Amino acid sequence: MKVVGITTQQEVYVGSRDRNFRINEFLIISDPYQGDLMGEVVEAKTYNRYIPLSIHGDLADSSVIESLKAIGYNIEEDTIYIAKIRLLNEALYPIETGSDIRIPSFQEVKDLMVQSRAEEGLVLGVIKNTDQMVEDMEEQYKDLLYTFEEGKLMEQRDIPYIFNIRDMHQYPHIGVFGGSGSGKSFGLRVILEELMKLSIPTIVLDPHFEMDFSETESYMTEEMAKIYEDKFKCLQVGFHTGVRFEDLSAQDIKNLLDASGTLTDSMSNVVDILFKRNDSYNSFSNRLKMLTEAQEEGSLDRIDARIADATSDLEREGWQKRKEIYLSYDKTCPYSSVRGIIWRLHRLNNEGIFSKDIKPIEEGLHMGKLIVIQGSTRILQVFSTYLLNNLYRKRRDYKDALYKQTTADYFPPFIIVTDEAHNFAPKGYDSPSKSILKEISQEGRKYGSFLILATQRPTLLDETITAQLNTKFIFRTVRASDIQTIKEETDITEEESRRLPYLRTGDVFISQASMGRTIFSRIRAAITTSPHTENPFDELKNKVEEEDGKFLEIIKDKLPINGNDFLNVIKEIEEETGLTYPIKFFEEKLDYLVEKGHIKKEKTPFFNVYR
Amino acid sequence: MYNIDKGLKERIINLNKVLSAKYEDVLSLDRTSFRKFIGQNVGMLAKVEKLSKEELSHCARKGGILGVDGSNNRMGGAYPHFVEVYQGLAMSSIQSNKPVFKTDFYTPLYFEGEDNLLEDTREGEESIRKRKLSTIEVEAALEGIRQFKPHVVMMDGSLIRYDIECFDRWMELRKECEQKDIILIGVIEDIKTSIIGDLLLEDESLDIKGYFYDRELLYGLLEYGEMILVNERVTKKSDEGFSTLFMRSSQSPAVIGMDILDTQKEHLEDMARLVLSLTPEDSRGVPLWIDIVDREVRIPNQMIRGLLESYLDREILEIFFTSERDKRTL
Repeated sequence: MKVVGITTQQEVYVGSRDRNFRINEFLIISDPYQGDLMGEVVEAKTYNRYIPLSIHGDLADSSVIESLKAIGYNIEEDTIYIAKIRLLNEALYPIETGSDIRIPSFQEVKDLMVQSRAEEGLVLGVIKNTDQMVEDMEEQYKDLLYTFEEGKLMEQRDIPYIFNIRDMHQYPHIGVFGGSGSGKSFGLRVILEELMKLSIPTIVLDPHFEMDFSETESYMTEEMAKIYEDKFKCLQVGFHTGVRFEDLSAQDIKNLLDASGTLTDSMSNVVDILFKRNDSYNSFSNRLKMLTEAQEEGSLDRIDARIADATSDLEREGWQKRKEIYLSYDKTCPYSSVRGIIWRLHRLNNEGIFSKDIKPIEEGLHMGKLIVIQGSTRILQVFSTYLLNNLYRKRRDYKDALYKQTTADYFPPFIIVTDEAHNFAPKGYDSPSKSILKEISQEGRKYGSFLILATQRPTLLDETITAQLNTKFIFRTVRASDIQTIKEETDITEEESRRLPYLRTGDVFISQASMGRTIFSRIRAAITTSPHTENPFDELKNKVEEEDGKFLEIIKDKLPINGNDFLNVIKEIEEETGLTYPIKFFEEKLDYLVEKGHIKKEKTPFFNVYR
Repeated sequence: MYNIDKGLKERIINLNKVLSAKYEDVLSLDRTSFRKFIGQNVGMLAKVEKLSKEELSHCARKGGILGVDGSNNRMGGAYPHFVEVYQGLAMSSIQSNKPVFKTDFYTPLYFEGEDNLLEDTREGEESIRKRKLSTIEVEAALEGIRQFKPHVVMMDGSLIRYDIECFDRWMELRKECEQKDIILIGVIEDIKTSIIGDLLLEDESLDIKGYFYDRELLYGLLEYGEMILVNERVTKKSDEGFSTLFMRSSQSPAVIGMDILDTQKEHLEDMARLVLSLTPEDSRGVPLWIDIVDREVRIPNQMIRGLLESYLDREILEIFFTSERDKRTL
C-alpha cells in the first residue's frame, strides 16, 4: 500500500496490488517528513487496465479470460485497488507521494473512536469497518453488544460506538433522521434503552404507542428485558395523566379546544371573554351552559318571565344568574359559537383529559425513569405543550433560584424524546408545541433540558430547531429534498450523501459536532421490541389457525358426526360450552376442516359422515 | 464550430463519388459466387472452432505463448532534428511478471559506427527507422525464446516485415525456432496484401478493372471463425518461406491475417484456432494477449518527454529536439 499520484494536504490516493480497501476504514500514512498521519477512506475502487470499460467493443469476454488462464496468464492478477483517503487533520505540507500506508492499532485511534467508558455513555452500536483494529482493544470495550445482520445475531467484532452523554452539556440535542424502514425508530429505541440504563429522567412523546419496553426481541433471552422493567412507565393521556384545568391559561384552553376541533375566530373570542383565571372545569362549563340556556330563551322579557314563574328560590336564583350573564355577554358571544365551545369542551372532558394531572410524570422523572406519554398525535401536540412548558419552567425556576441563591424545589434535568418531530415543531406554520420546543432547543442547554427529535422529513422540521441539533443520526434517506437538507445541516460529505439512499437498515452516519466529523456506524441489536412488529399477515394466519384449533377441540369427542345428526351435536355443544352454531354455519365449518385435512368426510347413500 | 471551406467539402463529396464508382462492381459481386471464386482460386474456405480447455492447457504445459510487439515514438521537429526511441517487448503468458524489454534510439544527428554514409540521406532514414524497430522486436523475441522456451511465439504484424527489414537477425530467430520446435506466427491486424485483387484482374471471365486490396474485398465476406488458407502458388510470401491465411476472428466484419513459417505449415490450423480462442468476440479481431503486450510496450508522449527532459541537458534538448511547433498554444 502506497500513496500514489498527485497529493494535497487534505486528500491522497492510495494504491495496492493485493489488498482491497473498505469505505470508512482508518489508515495511517507514514510520511517520511511529517510523521504518521491518520486518514479515513472516503472512496474505494478497483481497476484492471486490461479489462477497461469500453462501449465500443474490445471487451474481454469470459471465454478469452478463461483461455488466457489456461495458457498460464491470470488477467485478474493485474487488478489494482485504489482508495481516496481524507486526512482527519490537514497536514502542513502535501503528503509525500510514495509514502507507506499501514493499519493503525487500537491505541492509536482510541481518542478518535471511543468517547466514553461503556458504563457512563450510551452504547449505541459499532463503528463500521474497524474490526482490524480491535486486537489491542481493552477488555472493557469488548463484548458489549450484539449486532443484527442478515437475520442473525452477531457478536461484536468492531470498536463500539459509545455516545458520551456528558458532551450534551456542551453540544446539546440530537436529531434522528431517516426514511421509513431505515432503522430510525429502532435506533431511537436503542437510545432509549441506553438512557434507561443510565437512569436519566426522560419524557417520550409516543404517538404510535410503540415505545413499550416490556417485550423482549425474539433473539434475546427473556431476562435481558427485565433490566428495563421498572425503569420506564407508559402513561396514556386521559387515562393516567392529564391537565389540571385550574392551571390553564386562556391560550392553553384555546389550544386544547383547537385540538378537539378547529376553532373559528368567533369561538376563540368567546373563550377570551368567558374564561376567567382560576376557573375550574365546572365553573367554566357552567358559565357557558347558563349563557346558552339564556340565549335559547331568546329575549330579556322571556327570561324575566322565567324568573317571575319560578317555583322555588333556587330556580329563581338560577335564572337571575343567567340573566346577568346574558346581559354581559350576549352581545359579544354569538349563540352558535358558544355551543361550539361547549361540545369541544365536553369532548375533551370525555377523553378524561381534565380528570388527571401530571403528578405521575413528575414523580417518575424524580426517580430517573423514562416516562412514555401515549396518545393520538392531536392530543399529544396539545398536551405536550402544556406538559413541557410546565416541566421546563420547574427546572428553570430551580436553576434560577440556585443562581439567585433563593430556595426552590429540586427538579432534575431531563431529556425530551419524540418521533415524528415534524408534527410537533413544523416548519412554516405555527403549532402549539413549537414555541416551547424552540425555546428548549435554544436555551435548554443552560438548564439541562435536552431534545432528541426523530423525523423522517427533516425538511419539514423547523429550521431554528434543526440548527440546534448538535448530533445527528442519519439513516437511509431517499428523498432528494431531505438529502439536500441533511447536506446543509450536517458536516456530511458529498460522497457520504451519495451513499444515503443505499444504506442498509440500521447503518447510520453520525454527524457529531463534539467529534468534528461524521462516524459511520451500525446500531446494535435492540433488546426490547415494539409491540407492533408482528407482521399483519402472520397475525391473520395465526388467528385463523387458532380459530380452527378451537373448533376442532370442541368437536373432537363428538366424532364421527352424522350429517343428519347436526341438531343434536349442536345442542350438546351448546350445553357444554355455551356456544351456539346455526346448522348451515356448522356444516360449513366442518367442510372447511375437511378441506384443511383435519377431519375426513365420507359419503353414504343417506348422509355424509365426518370422522 | 469549425468553418468548413466550400471547396474542401466538394472535394470530399467527389471522393465519395469516385470511390463508390470504382467499387461498384466489386461491392455488387454476388457473395456466393465470390466465395466460390475464392475457393477455386485463392484457397480453401474452412470454419474453425476455438481450442478446448485441454488443448489450451497442453499449450501451457509446452511453454505457453510468447507475445512480441514493438513501439516507437519521437520527439522533436522535422528532419534531422528529432530523436526516435524504440522499445520491443516479449512477454510470456506463463511468467508475465518477467517481461523482456529491448530498446534503441535513432536520431539523424548521430550514427553508430556500423551505419554507412550511403544511408545518410532522407531516403535512407525511413528504412533505418524501420530496421531499428524490427530489429529490437526480433531481439526481444530471441531473448524471450531463450528465457522462457515457449510453445508459440506470437508477433504483432506480418512476419515478412522482419524478413525484409532485418534479414540477418530474422534468420537467426527463424532458425532457432525451427531447431527448438517453437511455432512462430505473426498476427496482422491491418492486412495490406492484394492477393485476391490480383487474381480478379487476371481472370478474364470477370470484367474487373482497377486494383483492389484484400482488406476491402474480404470485408464482411467471412463468417465468424471462418478462414481462407491461401494457396502457396498465389502468394508471393511463399517465396520468402511463409504460409498465410485470412480469418474473421471476431464479430467485427473486418478480416485479419496470420503468417507462419512454411516449415511449420502443419500447425497453421491449430494456430488459427489459438488466435480465435484468445480473441474477444466483440473486439477488433486481435488476440487479447497481443493487445496486452502492445499496451505494455507503448511509449506515451509524456514518457518520452519526461525521459528526455530528465536525462538530456537542457541546452541540448532546446537546441536539437524542441520543435517550435510544439510550443504552439493556440
